[in-house]
Amino acid sequence: MSVLEVRDLAIRFGGLQALQGLDLDVNEYEIVGLIGPNGAGKTTAFNCITGFYTPNEGTVRYRGQDVTTAPPHVKAAMGFGRTFQNVGMVKSATAMENLKTAQHAKAGYGVAAGLLGTAATGRRERVLEAKANAILDLLGLSAIRDERVGGQSYGTLKLLELGCALATDPDLLLLDEPTSGMGPDESDELGERLLALRREFALTMLVIEHHVPLVLRVCDHVYVLNFGRLLAEGKPSVIQTHPEVVAAYLGGEAPEALAQTHETAEDAALDAVTEQAVREHQVVEHRVVEHGAVEAVAAPRPRKAPVKRASTRRPVALDDPPTEELAVPLRPRRRPAPTRKDTSS
Amino acid sequence: MLMALDVVAPALSGAIQGAVYGLLGLGLVLLYKSNRVFNFAQAEFGTSAAFAVLFADNGTGPLPNLPLPLAVVFGLLVATGLGLLTERLVVRPLFSAPKVTLVVATAGVTLLLISVQGFLAGAEPSVLQPLFAGDVFDTGSVRVTRQQLVIVLVLVVLAAASALFFSRTRTGTAIIAVSQEPTATSLVGISVTRTSSLTWGLAGLLGGIAGILLSGSTGFVSPGSLTGLALIPAFTAAVFGGITSLPGAFLGGVVIGVVEALAQSNIPKDVLPGSGRVVLFVALLSVLLIRPAGLLGKEA
Amino acid sequence: MTAVVDPPVGRTPPAAGPDRAAEAVARPRREFGPVRWVPRAVVLLALAWWALVYVPGTFAYSAFAADACIYAIIGLSLNIVIGYTGQLSLGHQGFVGVGAFAAAYSLTVQEVPFAATFVIAAGLAAVFALVLGLVALRITGLYLALITLVFGLTLEGSLFEIPRFTNGGAGQPADRPQFLFDDGRFYLFCLAFLVLACYVDYRLLRSKTGRALLALKENERVAEAFGINVTAFKLIAFTLSGALAGVAGALFAYRIGIVTGSGFGFFLALTFVLMTVVGGLGDRLGVIMGSSFFAVLPFLLEDSPLKRAEEAIAGVLSFGDAGTEANIIQFFPQALGALLLLLTLVQFPGGLAQQVRPFTDWLKGEPFDARALLPHRGSSGPGTVEGSSVRA
Repeated sequence: MSVLEVRDLAIRFGGLQALQGLDLDVNEYEIVGLIGPNGAGKTTAFNCITGFYTPNEGTVRYRGQDVTTAPPHVKAAMGFGRTFQNVGMVKSATAMENLKTAQHAKAGYGVAAGLLGTAATGRRERVLEAKANAILDLLGLSAIRDERVGGQSYGTLKLLELGCALATDPDLLLLDEPTSGMGPDESDELGERLLALRREFALTMLVIEHHVPLVLRVCDHVYVLNFGRLLAEGKPSVIQTHPEVVAAYLGGEAPEALAQTHETAEDAALDAVTEQAVREHQVVEHRVVEHGAVEAVAAPRPRKAPVKRASTRRPVALDDPPTEELAVPLRPRRRPAPTRKDTSS
Repeated sequence: MLMALDVVAPALSGAIQGAVYGLLGLGLVLLYKSNRVFNFAQAEFGTSAAFAVLFADNGTGPLPNLPLPLAVVFGLLVATGLGLLTERLVVRPLFSAPKVTLVVATAGVTLLLISVQGFLAGAEPSVLQPLFAGDVFDTGSVRVTRQQLVIVLVLVVLAAASALFFSRTRTGTAIIAVSQEPTATSLVGISVTRTSSLTWGLAGLLGGIAGILLSGSTGFVSPGSLTGLALIPAFTAAVFGGITSLPGAFLGGVVIGVVEALAQSNIPKDVLPGSGRVVLFVALLSVLLIRPAGLLGKEA
Repeated sequence: MTAVVDPPVGRTPPAAGPDRAAEAVARPRREFGPVRWVPRAVVLLALAWWALVYVPGTFAYSAFAADACIYAIIGLSLNIVIGYTGQLSLGHQGFVGVGAFAAAYSLTVQEVPFAATFVIAAGLAAVFALVLGLVALRITGLYLALITLVFGLTLEGSLFEIPRFTNGGAGQPADRPQFLFDDGRFYLFCLAFLVLACYVDYRLLRSKTGRALLALKENERVAEAFGINVTAFKLIAFTLSGALAGVAGALFAYRIGIVTGSGFGFFLALTFVLMTVVGGLGDRLGVIMGSSFFAVLPFLLEDSPLKRAEEAIAGVLSFGDAGTEANIIQFFPQALGALLLLLTLVQFPGGLAQQVRPFTDWLKGEPFDARALLPHRGSSGPGTVEGSSVRA
């Protein structure tokens, strides 16, 4: 059974069909990439999946359960952890406070008990704090434990935001451009980190990403969106050379490469309409076209029909032993026999 | 059933009272349209103007004893000046603050203006003669004064004029542009601060017109009298008509005035005291829940 | 209370405003041993003696001190809605009124035991807040301010005038029990409630509820992604705030002995908002100080240096005109309140809390740092009212 199963998802904003007929599967322990040019509808898809938007059509299933209309906070409590394109944290609070706030759904005591200050509340608060400290250690951010989040650099913020998403105790992690604001080296490091996190916490991930080397390195499967539709899907290596994907990514930026593919007048007209609609509804994404993809154009290959249903994908295994430096007192979910060292002292 | 209700007389007096709300509401709409802020001091621009007319007409303190038309001009100048002063001292320093902060600040301006009026005139109501004496007609149950008729006419003219101002003149469109895209507008050479001064000056002027006419109509003025009498219904009227629509303020004012008057004259006090306020609350709540854009407003 | 963390070696601390830099400079000069705690203990003991012995024993002060406690509870209640949750309520006087009438009616007409009237007052005011919240919290920002304002006025003009419950204009009597006849004792009684309110406020911030409110105030989407039910927690904040206001209302009823509806108007609502803002939104001690100040202002203007300042100002402004001088004295508290509010918003967004922070930090064991007294122009510190959905 897939962790996430999206079928025929569609949403309109006024005259703009932001998403149309999107099918998407994320299986257990997979890291699935969601890529596409600016305004393709990637973040919109995220917002539909996490409940911030209610789609006009289609269903979202989580472990077999229909959660299409569940609000975001319910989904967060179910195990959807997400990050935002331009950093979603409480900027006026400290890193520690953010990590504690993110554990809201797992606080383990009620509002009234919290106000009365029962002994159990105190115990739970200490547990929350220990977990927050562990996450800070894990991400190497202990130095900014009591600093206000607002003053930090963008890269640090993105990393801390990932920590906050982890603090919500997710089962399925949805990351919206985790490497934005990071240099190439930091991005590669993040890729290793994501793989390690998957091993350690038995996570399943859906990642919007522009940094192609990262997609190639970590993703088991990639979906490509363009103009709100699924353009292609498959293994990253296949997607990389998929002619339509190449064409979509190039857009109007490289005329000589465009000539190799084909762009009809119809496409151009649609482009203009979408652009205008996007402007009007302020669904703007500010990303530069990824240059890695531009370089990969060299020789377009004959196109392959996209695989329709992805549930036949080979399951990802989590046999690798966890790495030592990641052994922290955090409760992994559905993990096979933990062999990590206990460092709760 | 309907026959038993008292309809005609309250509807008429309510419509006229509604024009009063609409007149005050115009300034609220102007400031919301241009600055996206609720100005709680709007009614006090009016009360201050009414006091200024009174003082100038009586020659109080250092003021010369002016004839009434000049006193009215003086009152309007005072109101415009208060608008400009509010902009310079309170609004501009809070440009980048959240709008709710600005709203609290305008409430502070209200309180300050009321106390200055109190300093100068004391708490007791002062008598203010209407600008236009006499009745249009008086049938015993229904009485319409000339001043009231003037209020309705002035409201219609002002609503139309300011609607034209926003749609037809360069300055008007510049104000709208600043409210929607301050950064981009300043890039094309429109001064955001000058536009802000202009709108607050205009709001002061509109408040002044409203205050002088209304206080003349009720026959008295006291510190904060307009805030107490008309601010909340005026807000309700403005929201009801669509907070960004100038003709909407007019229409909303009349609707609110009529409904309020009908409720007051048909619901006995011992069943529900203060039915006018209950009606305001219900009207405001329902329009915000059912049609937040108001009667004539566009979707934001 | 604030954990002092040494800045990491070889790393410049991140820029977070002038006060952080000032802290970094001041830190090495920390005092130790008796030098550190003796003067602070003396100050604290003097304050405790003043609040617990001197004020309740001085007849002229105790009634106003009771007012100060009641206003402080109202300030804390309003602070939950404005300071923590970022919603502007201009109808809080309505909840106070509901509490006052509920206590008076249940005690005088229904002859409920004295202690139970507080439960009834808190409960009923909480129910009113909950109902208003249920219908109005979908409306955000400026519109919420407007709807709460009209709600308060509707209560004042309609519900508080229903003779069966409120005795109409004559007022509903609320007699204190024998043991509280003495104003000094009644003040201590109110002080106990204030301490209770402080505890609730402290627990609120120290538990998930407070964190949820601060998160949703700043960014509702982030709060939702963290699993916070934004609507539910706004409602919780509103209801808790209503309950506190109700308790304050009950105390208010017993303080004046008879409750009439006409007192709960727009200007009272404004006073509540301005005392909270002047005190310093989001800061417990600041809010208590701001609220108490406005509660005892009439008293200060009867006999204090402030009285003499007021007379001097009135003398200058009136150019010797006796009538004008009387007017100025009559409207002086309003003018002072308005000026303090505007000054706070424009020049000192942190409110009184920021002004006394050097003293409170010193009491907590930090060195005295006078630099925090400087104005913070344009900074969006804790003194700003946030959470408006309407932005240019």
